[in-house]
Order: sequence, then structure tokens, then C-alpha cells
Amino acid sequence: MEEKIKQLFQEFNNRLKADNDAKSLEEIKTDFLGRKSSLAKLFSQIPSLSKEEKAVYGKALNVLKNKMTVLLEQKLSTGQMTEPKTDLTFPSRIPDTGSLHVLTKVNRQICSIFENIGFSVIEGTEIEDEWHNFEALNIPLDHPSRDAFDTFYLDIPESKKGKYLLRSHTSPSQIRVMKNAKPPLAVISPGRVYRPDEVDATHSFMFHQIEGFAVAESLDFSHLKGVLLQFAHTFFSPDVSLRFRPHFFPFTEPSAEVDISCIICRNKKSFVQTDKSCLLAGRRKPQTAKCSVCKGKGWLEILGCGMIHPDVLKACGISPKKYRGFAFGMGVERIAMLKYGVDDIRLFYENDVRFLDQF
Amino acid sequence: MRFSLNFIKEFLDIKIEPERLSQVLTMAGMEVESLQKLGSDWVFDIEVTTNRYDWLSITGISREIAAVLGKKLKLKEPPALTGKIYKARSIKIEDSQDCPYYIAKVLRQAKVAPGDLKVQQFLANCGLTSVNNVVDITNYCMLKWGNPLHAFDEDKIEGNVCVRRARKGEIFLGIDDKERELTGQNLVIADDKKVIALAGVMGSKNTEVTSQTKNVFLEAAVFSPLTVRRSRRAAGLDTEASYRFERMVSSDNLECACREAAFLMVKKCSGIYAGGCFSGKKPAAKRKEIILDLDKLSGYLGLMYPKAKVKKILVSLGCRVREVSSKVFSIMPPRLRFDIGKEVDVYEEVSRIFGYDKIPSRIPFLPASACAKIQAGGQQSYCFNNKLKDYAALLGFKEIVTYSVESKEDLARLQEEATVRIINPLRKQEASLRPSLLSGMLGCLRHNFNRGMNELKFFELADTYGLGKSGFLEIPSLALAFGGNNQDFFLLKGSVELLMKFLNIEGYYFKEAEMDNFTNSLALCVGEDVLGFVGKLDQAVKKDFDLKGEVFFCQINAGSLQKKSSQAFFKQFSAYPVVSRDISIALCRDVRFKEIEKIIRSKVNYLSDLQVVDVYKDKNIPSNQSAFTLRIFYQSPEKTLSSEEVDFFHNDIRKALSSYKGVVLR
Repeated sequence: MEEKIKQLFQEFNNRLKADNDAKSLEEIKTDFLGRKSSLAKLFSQIPSLSKEEKAVYGKALNVLKNKMTVLLEQKLSTGQMTEPKTDLTFPSRIPDTGSLHVLTKVNRQICSIFENIGFSVIEGTEIEDEWHNFEALNIPLDHPSRDAFDTFYLDIPESKKGKYLLRSHTSPSQIRVMKNAKPPLAVISPGRVYRPDEVDATHSFMFHQIEGFAVAESLDFSHLKGVLLQFAHTFFSPDVSLRFRPHFFPFTEPSAEVDISCIICRNKKSFVQTDKSCLLAGRRKPQTAKCSVCKGKGWLEILGCGMIHPDVLKACGISPKKYRGFAFGMGVERIAMLKYGVDDIRLFYENDVRFLDQF
Repeated sequence: MRFSLNFIKEFLDIKIEPERLSQVLTMAGMEVESLQKLGSDWVFDIEVTTNRYDWLSITGISREIAAVLGKKLKLKEPPALTGKIYKARSIKIEDSQDCPYYIAKVLRQAKVAPGDLKVQQFLANCGLTSVNNVVDITNYCMLKWGNPLHAFDEDKIEGNVCVRRARKGEIFLGIDDKERELTGQNLVIADDKKVIALAGVMGSKNTEVTSQTKNVFLEAAVFSPLTVRRSRRAAGLDTEASYRFERMVSSDNLECACREAAFLMVKKCSGIYAGGCFSGKKPAAKRKEIILDLDKLSGYLGLMYPKAKVKKILVSLGCRVREVSSKVFSIMPPRLRFDIGKEVDVYEEVSRIFGYDKIPSRIPFLPASACAKIQAGGQQSYCFNNKLKDYAALLGFKEIVTYSVESKEDLARLQEEATVRIINPLRKQEASLRPSLLSGMLGCLRHNFNRGMNELKFFELADTYGLGKSGFLEIPSLALAFGGNNQDFFLLKGSVELLMKFLNIEGYYFKEAEMDNFTNSLALCVGEDVLGFVGKLDQAVKKDFDLKGEVFFCQINAGSLQKKSSQAFFKQFSAYPVVSRDISIALCRDVRFKEIEKIIRSKVNYLSDLQVVDVYKDKNIPSNQSAFTLRIFYQSPEKTLSSEEVDFFHNDIRKALSSYKGVVLR
């Protein structure tokens, strides 16, 4: 028996040295370790041996089996075999993947920045009534200030709060939350809004807005500035700056429009074209051109904001004597267009795979 | 509003560069949208927000610039005119709500000729065209004072003048040569015979000042902003005059504007002033004192404002400022500023002139909300929807965003009911709010098919709309779709199953259902509730929508998913091996797979899974049969199943299946 074991191991080693490719290694495995191998035959002889021999040779056979297995594995894993190699310079195959729409991504990024400051996300409804969309926000019926909010009216029986419409901004969510909850409040409310606008590269009759507002006893205008600056630094870049321009909104006082320093020309109002783009344009020397994104102004309008008008707080049953609040609203498409250099708003709703796959 | 810098310079010394002025004004709230050099003049185009009607006049803009630059305004009131009271005609106002005050001045022997060149230049640079000397003077005075004036040919007015609502069906021929049929919405100026102007909007052709005109009837009035707005909307007009009336005009400037116009007509058109008259009552400017507490001001804005500076700013804006105590001012806003009525309005004035840029930026410490419950409720659906979107993307679907509206055409093609109709659509495609996500998805698939893209997997999570017993419904819905010619319905069905598993919704099942637009479909149910469906798009619809590939579509109510979903807990899985056996089956078309599945499941306790591993599309297989290989997986939670045990179960299954009508084992 001992002799047979030695001999078997010898044969195994010879074969292992000689054969090198994966296929022959498989054959060696079958021949030496398989169900019909010489090793199996030796194992089958064990029952006929004496008790002492059984113990000795049983162990010896197991040792042999392990040895051979390990050696084979080693040879396989060290790759010392001459397997035909695949030509890895063939083109890649791109796996099919799912993806989130860029508006979802931008929306989430914006919300999460405010969530980190302490805001909660509450989504309102898209169908609203006139009271929530206008009156409560200090926009009287038939006032020129409504011109900025042309509205789609809906064929739903009128309620006590006026006709039903598609909200023209996300500010009604502000009213709904303030009416239903007591301050302190800090809420961010994203969603779709609608305005009967002609559709072109920068206008759409449907778009997305994010409304943010906070109401507490000791909030002031500097907090509004701080929160928005934090947003701009996190979302765009820590080196952008914001410019608050006085403006008028019926629902805030004081009000401001906020501009961000142009993220393309870095507020230099012009930029030097790189060598490459000069070559493409057929010019020799780099040329300075007016920045096409901010049109040479150096600033881009990104949002509107202000301190919540005391009449709006009152309409929601919050005492303006005790509480103060600030609010802001921004267009998600506009922000996404600025961030990613998308030049046509219609691309967002066309859903061309070549567009979707870029984000 | 466009204004000419030279015009402003008539009233104000401006030394700073126009570009610099433009910046300063923009940062004080008068946004300069464009600045343009025209000859020796500069033209500013500013955005006039609806609260600042006073910026619709050169004097108003000058006043603002003076305040911003800290300068004094050189503004003289026009000289007084002496003349008798005009008695030839009476002026009657039917409703003082529509028109509280109406002034008329009459000039005789005026010589109508081309306008003064300097005036023409001012008008042109402010965006108005010159007509003749008389009309140019009215426009010049409107620009200067903000009050629209109108000059009638006095000889063409028949009888008395009346300010009244139009009678239904009355015809108005405007100076734009267009005829309009009027309604009771329109306020008109009429004589005894006819309508001679659409009040506050446009004059009529029948009394227009022409080169033949000798005598001029000059109108200056205050009309109700709301009446003018409704009237000009009903007439489909928007004019320089209506724009100003809608935003309010100053009754203080009314007399100045009218007097200056008459004065200029005397001076420049050799007219003779023949007196004036009026009707109604000059509206009193409602002003009240505002108490400004400096501590509150600082607290509201987050910046300490120096007392002297605050006073200086308010005075420069034309406020009367009285010191009540060391930290409190009493303020009387200027007569022209109706928009300053509250303490917060004063805060805005002070802070914008002082500069928003001086206010620091601080991050507030937002205290834990007292309404955590409401906030949490809202946050929940936002989080759930995000979770759904993430999972759909993980399953390989690309998210799309399509319009929430649907066209009449699509509604008809999909036999969908327009439950929430849009009353005032701008285009045909905005007929109604969409009752399902199907048309948006098909549109998106078609767009991509037509551009050579194939084998598409899309999802959208958006609201669908309907009407319920208690009003409108907004139903958050999830649509999943496969598009292409190599897609597999069962993969979509499997995606839905994975989704249900992910959301840990137990006891869901599919039920065969009939759906419009689908060749066949399955309803996704939990208990009695139908959550959604999965189906194969009908060939007719495919053709109707001009789709180049097959479409498998699924829509599920995401709100119900949220309600039914629960947190999953770890479930112990069997530690023992899975053993599989294959059966090749030919199934007659009239036998459903679910029938044989039921048999299989009834026979084995240890069934772990069923999979179709191969489908035969051989010619030898009769067309009324489907042939496939079914792999059955056996596993016990307690032990390793022996080969014999598995064979036993398997033979049992084979036997049961072979005796079932319509099943052939191969």
C-alpha cells in the first residue's frame, strides 16, 4: 500500500510538471482525484484492511489527497499554465444601468443642504385654490402683481377659498404649513409649478421650484443671508459670492433678488478662450470674449427671497408681533442649467437617453 | 420703463458715470435691465415693480436717484394759468368709484404742427413716437409727471362729456384704427352721441387731434386701477396710459401735469387758454404716521443702524421725520409713496438705501420644531418617494420627467377621461391634467425610438389626477416601462415582484385583468385592493402612437405602496442545499400556467422556487401549445434532502401533471 501511495504521488508530480494548460489540469484532477481515479481505487481497498492498517493508510491516503489538491490549486492559482489569453484590447461592453433624472438629483442636493441646516421637507399639492395661491400671500385679486403669476384654472367646482388652479409657485405650501403648525418652523418644499408661458429655451409652462421658509421668535434678515450663502457655497463652490438686490414681492418685506457671481467666468465678466477653443474658432491668439452665460454682467439671478410679510403671517394665524420669518424660492431647472451648463430647458422634459445618461 | 438720462438731468445734477449710476440704482432696488448710449443721451431700461407706480414718471425716478445719491431735486411747479371756468360743456361722472376726479382744460386756436425736436428726442429715448405738437405735449407731461393725459378735438365733441360704463354692444373705434365691441366691463368717455375714449386706455379716432384741429379739450383724470385693468383686458389692450392707471396715478401730480400741458400748448402751439373745469373730488392721499423703533429695525435686519444715518435716508426719500424719543421716530411718508404704510415698509426703505450688502450673513440655530409631527408626516412621503426612485434606478430603469398635462388627442387615443380639465390652456396639449402616466411614457419612448435608441427601460414617479367624492385627487404614481423588440414581459413582472419584496409588502398577488390599451395585463393586488397593473401595450395603440418597438408598461399607486409597505425583519434562510430537477412541458394555450403551478405547489412541502429555464420555439411544436423547460427547486429548512426524496416528489409532480388535461410532458 505504502508503495502504491508513493508511486501514485510520483506519477502525479510527473504529470503536473509536464502538463500546463487549464484543460490538462482538469484532466489530471479527474485522473488522480476523481470518482474513478487511482486514488479512489486505493480508498476502496481500505475496508478490506486490518484495523491498524485502516488507521495508518486511511490517514496516509487523506494526506495524499490533500497534497495533490493543494498542488493542483497552486498551479492553477499561480497561473503557471499556458492558457490562451483573451485579447483585452477589444472594446468594453457598457452595462445597462438605471439612473435618476438630473432634476431629481439637483432637487435632492438642494433639499439636503437645507435639511442639514435644520429644515424639514414637506411637499404641498399641485392643485391649489386662489386663496392659498394668491390672497393669503398678499396678492389681491385683479392686481397687476398677479401678472407675474399667470395661472391655469381648473374645471373643478369652486370652493370657499376660491377657484381651483394649478399652483403658479410653491409658496402656497408655506401658507398650508403655517396654518397647520405652530412656530418655530423651518420647512423646505419642492414641487412642480405651472404658468401659461410660451415654451422656449428658457421658459416652460411646467417647471420645478423649491420654497424654503423659517418662522421663529428671533430670526432676522442676516439669517436669511447666512442660510442662502451656505447653500450657494455647498451647492456651487465655496468661492462664489452672493449679491442681494432689493426687489418687490407681495409676500415678503423687505424683499430681495439674489444673484450669484458667474460660475463660468468667475465674475470677471469676460473670459480668455483657451488655445483649443481658439483653434476651433480658427483664431491664432487667445481672445477675450464676453462671457456668454452671464452676458458680461458677472452676475446670475438665482432666487428671490425676503422677510415674510406680517400680513402673510397674520393670514396664517401667526402673530407678527411675536414671530418673524424669512422665505425664499428658487427654480430647480434654472439652478440645474447653471450648474451643468444646460442651455435649453426643454431638454429636461424630452428625456433623450443621450441627455439622461450624462448625469 | 425706459428713461432718458438727459431728461433726468433737467431736474438733477448727475456727475457720476452712467454705468456706475446703473449699478448704484440696481443695488438700491431699481433694477437697470439695460443701458444704452444714444447720441449724447443714455437710455436706461428699468424694471418697475408693481409697488412703485412713482417710477413710471421722470420726476419720480429723479426723486429716487436724488435719494440714492443724496442730492437735491430742482423741480418747479408749472406756472398758474388764468382763465375763466369752462362752461360750454358739463362733465358728468356716473360712478365715482370708477372715476373719482376728472379735470378738463380747453385751448382755442392751437396750431397743430410737428412736435418740438427736443421733446421728440426725449419721447423717442423713452420709447414713444412723436405724433404732433399737441399729442407730444400730452405724452411729455405723462412721462414727466406719471399722469396720462388725453387731448380731444373739441369741435368733434357733441354736447356734454360723460364718464360711464359702456353699453353692451357699443362700438369703439380706437386711434389704432381697430374697432372693438364693448361690454359693461369697459369704462368710457362719451359725449351725447358717441364713445370718444376708452377711459384710461385709448382715445377714439372720432375725436383724435389732427392737423385740422383748432380747439383742444385736454383731459386729466384719476380712474380706478381695477376698472382700467378689467376694461383694457376685456378690450385686449395694454397701453402706456393703462399701464400707469392700473398701477395708480398720483392725484397730487394731476393738476401739475394738466397745467403744464396747457401751458406748453399756449407756448408752443400758440393756443389761447380758454379755461377749465372739473368734476368729482380730488382723492385725499391716505397717509398715516408710522412709528419706527430703531431697536426693532436693527432686530429685524440683524444690523445696528446709526440713528443719524436712518434719519438722513428717510428725509432724502421725502419722509417727514420726527423724533419721539431717543430710539423712536415718527415718520410721515411722502404723499407719492402709497407703498409705505407699515413699519416693515420703512425697514425696507432704510435697509435698501443703506445697502443690503452691509447686512452680515449668519447661520441661525433652528430650534427643534414644535410641530415635529406634521414635519415628520411630510418628510415621510418625500423620503418614501426617494426610496422608490432609488430602487427603480437600481433595477436598471432610467428616470424620466414628463409634463403633467395631456392633450385632447392623447386622451382620445388612450380612451382616457379628462377628469380635471384646464379652463384656459395656452396650447392644445394642455387640455387636461393627466389621468395616467401612460401618454407621457409613450411620448418619451417614441422620442428615443425615433432617434435610434432601443431596448429602453424608463420609470417616472409623478402625480396623476382625478376627482373623488371630496374633491380633487392627486395620486402619486409610479410608472415602469420596457420598450424595444427584445424585451421580456416577465422581467418587468419580476421587477415589480422585487419592488414588492423591497417594500416588504406581504400577500400581494397578480390577477389577470382586462385593461384598455393593453393586449393583456395583470392587476397587482393586495387583499381586496388593486394597487396597479402590468401589461403589454396593444398593437393598435402602438401603431397609433407610432412606436417602433413593443412596450410593456406598469403603473402602481405609490401612495398605496407607502401605506402597505412595512419594515422588513431578517428572515432565517435554510442552511441546507437546494436541489433542482427539470421537467419539459408542452402546455395547451387554453391551460394557464397558474393551474399547473397550483398543482406543483400542492404536491411538495419543500418547493423553494420555480423557473422557466428554456422556451422552445421549434417548428415541431404545434401553434396551440407553448413548450418550455421548468426547473423546480427543492429545499428543506431542516435537513439535506436525499436524491431519493427529491425524486419521489418530482415523480409525484410529473404524475399529477401528466394526468392534467392540456399538459403534455416531453
